Amino acid sequence: MRRRIFFLLLAVCMLLTSCGHNQKDEQKTSIRIGISLYRGDDTFINNIRSELEEKAKEYERENGIKVTLDIQDAKGSQNTQNNQVERFISLGCDVLCINPVDRMEASGMIEKAMAAKVPVVFFNRQPVEEDMNRWEQLYYIGVDAKETAILQGQMVVDMYQKEPESVDINGDGVVNYVLLEGESSHQDSLIRTEWSIRSLKDGGVPIEKITGGIANWERSQASALMEQWLLQYPGTIELVVSNNDDMALGAIDALERGEVTGVNVIGIDGTTPGLEAVRSGKMLGTVSANKELYASAILELAAGCALGKEAPKEYPLVDGTYYWTPQEIIIMENTDK
Amino acid sequence: MIGKKGKLLLFCYMLLLVVLFLMCSTDLIIREPEQEVYQIAVIIEDATDNNYGNFRKGMDQAAVELNADVRFITLYGKLEPNQQMEFIMREQQDGTDAVIVAPVDEQKLFDALAQKQITIPMVLLGSELAEEKIIGTITVDNKKMGQELARQMLAQTPEEVSVVILSQQEKHSMAEKDFREGITKELSGRGRAYQTIYCSEDVNLKEVLKGVMDSGERQIVILTESPELLTLTAAIGAEDSLFWEEVRGLYGRGDAIPILNYLDRGFITGTCATDEFSMGYYSVCMAVRELEGLEGDVSLRMDYHYIEKEDLRKKTYEKMLFPIE
Repeated sequence: MRRRIFFLLLAVCMLLTSCGHNQKDEQKTSIRIGISLYRGDDTFINNIRSELEEKAKEYERENGIKVTLDIQDAKGSQNTQNNQVERFISLGCDVLCINPVDRMEASGMIEKAMAAKVPVVFFNRQPVEEDMNRWEQLYYIGVDAKETAILQGQMVVDMYQKEPESVDINGDGVVNYVLLEGESSHQDSLIRTEWSIRSLKDGGVPIEKITGGIANWERSQASALMEQWLLQYPGTIELVVSNNDDMALGAIDALERGEVTGVNVIGIDGTTPGLEAVRSGKMLGTVSANKELYASAILELAAGCALGKEAPKEYPLVDGTYYWTPQEIIIMENTDK
Repeated sequence: MIGKKGKLLLFCYMLLLVVLFLMCSTDLIIREPEQEVYQIAVIIEDATDNNYGNFRKGMDQAAVELNADVRFITLYGKLEPNQQMEFIMREQQDGTDAVIVAPVDEQKLFDALAQKQITIPMVLLGSELAEEKIIGTITVDNKKMGQELARQMLAQTPEEVSVVILSQQEKHSMAEKDFREGITKELSGRGRAYQTIYCSEDVNLKEVLKGVMDSGERQIVILTESPELLTLTAAIGAEDSLFWEEVRGLYGRGDAIPILNYLDRGFITGTCATDEFSMGYYSVCMAVRELEGLEGDVSLRMDYHYIEKEDLRKKTYEKMLFPIE
């Protein structure tokens, strides 16, 4: 009797627990990618976003798999981004591509994604290593900030070696520069500043810093700083070293307003307006990541994760997690390349 | 001491508890109230969302408030009617509850609806087609908008200035066509001569405009039929101030961020804009209302506004042009 009751109970348990698991493994014909941008008005991010949309269309046409991109702007708020991640998961996104607002605060988003078993491809702002090591389904795509900075410095070194007076404008044997930095919390900002200056020194350019300031990657803030410096140090600034193109363009705006000429400005990112400024001679040069490749890597990796495939071989991952996009120096001579 | 009967009762009671627990944990007794999430697709006529920035903000706002899952879809190529029809069919096949469409080709869409190929509810943007499955339309009178723009331009431009209209060479959206017709109607009605320049993608716009200036040896005023041409022309002005001295004014339509920036910097004299945020918001509302079986407006005609630099900071326009979600 007891044995009969036991088996009956077991049968009931098995029947009931199996109720929730009637999904079939099916070949996916569509994927949905949730993309959260730290700020949609950042020119570089906007360029990447446009490229991503193009790449998604290409992927759709080539593979016959419908790709739905849900793109959201976190407007610089980590809280908003956390909510967006929650919504993406509840809407059934197969994979998330996150450009974190605060790279130190990625753990909350990672936890949610891990709980829902949704892989995450971070890009542009690298979460701390500790967070990245929490799960094997976390990836990062970006540029090597040290390489970027060295290339930025190299651009001026090359010019100085060829024609010193084109950099040392007043010919006093010293190149006086000002520095425009990005957010203090962004890892790239610190590395770009350090290695760019080190590269200039190592290349033999006799530089001397006049002043510097944090303009948070923004054109308007950089413009205001530059305007102030032009008043404080009239006729002395020969070079503006900027952590990105937007801030470099802000400095150019101030130079134009003040009708100041003979100041070299260098940026990073190779944004559309940045490249335009190089082409027109307003900016000496910039360092550009191959944005097409950058976006391709994000999309291909995300699509692979969504379809349960291995990471694409064209984008080799360092330590199985990181992909570094190649970069190049852009000066007037090669803007049309 | 519990007797044999008592033990059996206790066992039955425990068994009941286990069964109840299992039933609860598998949603058989206590069900979470399920809120239906409506799947809505927005399929526009363009290959990019450059001119749909505020529309998307409104659409996203409505999606969150009404618990809808709204997907925004651009075409592979601008104004490709077949592709748009393909996308509508694909969405229908994928179980989308409703679609919001800015039609490329009204006739194609009408035929598909008449032949019952499209069976899901549809909200139309910029079209007033009437069919059983069309549950709402949101339109702007682009002809009148064009007339208003021409009126404003004429009021600010002396007779001796040459009027140039920039138009796309190949494909025109319905809005672009109507807008240009409105401009030309107003100019002709006022007896003002104008020259239309058709621009293809590979044409050097600056050279073309220079050619016009050199031939007439007069200042010119430029009217553009599309937001893209307006942005392109303003960018030329921003790049070459010397060339721009010969341009008396630049007018057009659209409220994308680059256009507003150029307006603020003085490279665009005036632009006509509509409340795109509300368009996006109401289009999703219309779709959800239909899916919930509720009644409401089925057609909406949006106002248009002529905006100059000074208007950018006016409260009414600021809210419309820079909506906060």
